[in-house]
Amino acid sequence: MLEKMAKYSNAEEWADIVPIPQDDGPGQPLAAIAYSDDYVEAMSYLRAVMANNEMSERALHLTEDIIRMNPAHYTVWLYRSRILFATSSSLPAEITWLNTIALKYQKNYQIWHHRHTIVDALNSCTGEQDFLSQMFELDMKNYHVWSYRQWLVKRFDLWEGKGELEAVESILERDVRNNSAWNHRWYLVFGRGESCFEDKERVRREVDYAKEAIHLAPQNQSPWNYIRGLIRQTKGPAALSLASFKQFASEFASLDDPDNVTSSHALDLLAEILAEREGDAADAAKALDLLAKKYDPIRENYWKYRKSLLVGQGGVKAAA
Amino acid sequence: MSAGRVEDVHPIVVEHKSHFNKPRHVKYWLRCLKTYLPQQYQSTDSNRTMLAFFTLAALDLLDSLKPNTTPEEREQYIDWVYLCQHPDGGFRGFPGSDLGEHRNEENKVWDPANVAGTYFAFCMLAILEDDFGRVNKKACLTWLRRVQRPDGSFGETVGEEGKVEGGMDPRFGYMAMGIRWFLRGRATGDVMGVPDVDADKLVECVRISQTYDGGISEAPFHEAHGGFTYCALAALSFAGHLPKPGENSSAGLSDVNHTIAWLVSRQTATLEEEDLLDTYGDETDTIATCHDAHSFVAMKGFRDTKNGKDSFDDRPTSNYHLQWVGFNGRCNKIADTCYSWWVGASLSLLDKVSLASPDPNRHYLLDKTQHIVGGFGKVAGNPPDLYHSFLGLAALSVMGLEKELKPIDATVCISTDACTHLAKLPWRVENLG
Repeated sequence: MLEKMAKYSNAEEWADIVPIPQDDGPGQPLAAIAYSDDYVEAMSYLRAVMANNEMSERALHLTEDIIRMNPAHYTVWLYRSRILFATSSSLPAEITWLNTIALKYQKNYQIWHHRHTIVDALNSCTGEQDFLSQMFELDMKNYHVWSYRQWLVKRFDLWEGKGELEAVESILERDVRNNSAWNHRWYLVFGRGESCFEDKERVRREVDYAKEAIHLAPQNQSPWNYIRGLIRQTKGPAALSLASFKQFASEFASLDDPDNVTSSHALDLLAEILAEREGDAADAAKALDLLAKKYDPIRENYWKYRKSLLVGQGGVKAAA
Repeated sequence: MSAGRVEDVHPIVVEHKSHFNKPRHVKYWLRCLKTYLPQQYQSTDSNRTMLAFFTLAALDLLDSLKPNTTPEEREQYIDWVYLCQHPDGGFRGFPGSDLGEHRNEENKVWDPANVAGTYFAFCMLAILEDDFGRVNKKACLTWLRRVQRPDGSFGETVGEEGKVEGGMDPRFGYMAMGIRWFLRGRATGDVMGVPDVDADKLVECVRISQTYDGGISEAPFHEAHGGFTYCALAALSFAGHLPKPGENSSAGLSDVNHTIAWLVSRQTATLEEEDLLDTYGDETDTIATCHDAHSFVAMKGFRDTKNGKDSFDDRPTSNYHLQWVGFNGRCNKIADTCYSWWVGASLSLLDKVSLASPDPNRHYLLDKTQHIVGGFGKVAGNPPDLYHSFLGLAALSVMGLEKELKPIDATVCISTDACTHLAKLPWRVENLG
């Protein structure tokens, strides 16, 4: 036991520190964890250096030790960044270290918050896009990474001509169903202000891109959502009407050929288009029936609900 | 050749009984309560109040807390919760940051109260039927105001020079509104001499985080996510700002039907990671590798490719796979136990659980992720962990899928029994009128 505890308590460098043990109360604690001896010792020394507000290299090493055992510790990261700035430590070296930690603990968000702090202070995003590509090799849909990437775009003005849109397109070429990438595309194209939704050229390009992706894989929900987002949010000269997509939806879902629907999402869109016009409500009901019974029975109850909304508009009587 | 491909799969099949193994779940949670958690939980040490909450809340839902603990034990649990109370208001996330007698003005920033720690502490006190007598309510409400940012969002802790630390994250907004509700109910204005947080600003944060596809994300333009959608809706619920029945919008939610469409779209029969792959890039994978409705549509190229033919010959019918339907957290991801709660509870908050397919979800949870030793794993075949084990139970309860579980309050995430206890506490009745 003593052998194992040697890292701090037997080290000359730490001889001046009196560790502060954890107080778990006198009774039976809840959620007691079978801590490793290393962790118990390191945490006791962490409390002691924090209590002294120590800003030193050894304290920096100690935070690294804790982070490797408990990366979710919410003040050790703050303490670490204070030490880094107080001791004028190398920030590029911090990023290099952080890369190894991020690759190891992919689900941790404190790491990304810390990276944000350091990269902001560095005032440079050199190498960041490359590192994010490395993260995506492990998980193309890592939420923290995509969120951080949005911040990076805004902070360093990477909206256009800096490889972002190209990076998204290359991810979508590998997996056209990556919804995180679709979402990032939306951010790049429309995230700079409301006026983007009035830009006819921009909107037309996006519609074409989504349509092409649908032709590749008609049952992929992401580009259908993208198109419906465009219909909802574009305005002014770029405004898109729901009805203008009727022909496109019919390529994949036609009520004249109900045995050969190739996309339930097309059928859904068609139902919505038909529901707009009272005279088409009977056809809308047919489309919703097809979804409930044949093409998307997982959501049977939902399609029935959608049909009940049609009845509420008084349009379905003719069909009944 | 296309016969059988687009067969009428209605109605969803079959005599199917799934078994909820209550004794195993009780055993799993009693082990968590009364023995040490394995060392793998060291990496979540800073969230010990959350692990403790899962344990007590699960046993409470199983109606097995009181029968398996003595009043003395429950007193000790209450004492441990109060041990985490912070001297300046609120609760710590874990005892590990406590500097004890060494705490002073210069170092106290490393030992802050934590929004999640505080929320889980209150939930545990309600479950343990404590009277909240030792809660420093006024200090807590004062501290809570300091954790809100000027834009209305909440952080996790207050750091140096009053800086709000922690991500822009509706989880904190949800739990902050929960803390407010525990101590203030829906009262506005001063309570115990402390002004209210800016609830309207938080509601605005939720509104601007809605995404183009109808879900809600952690911040504007981030990807819609089941967990954040729940936190946002539950925050609105705490604040009394969910749309009223029959209304399609409210201050916090711009289009209820759009959000409902997103929520029901989270149901998926794609249960395993490898099933996400579209092997041949032509959408002709088997029913076993269906992409949601994938298996029911006549796919592009199906008739023309050998792969398509190979994929579908001699495979089980679509009906077979429809028996197990889970929820995913984001578009085009696989099902995961916890999203049965996050999405199921979101639907419950909007009074629309009936729009999901509850029975196939029950089959999914009980046949696929319920573990033989008790508890639930994240995905089919995974070992159990506290997080998924609790949220699996919570999901079954909130969707009314298991009569052996107590009903859960979809907003507070504790049993309605525990909420009833809280509502009867004299100080709360007096304060909130």
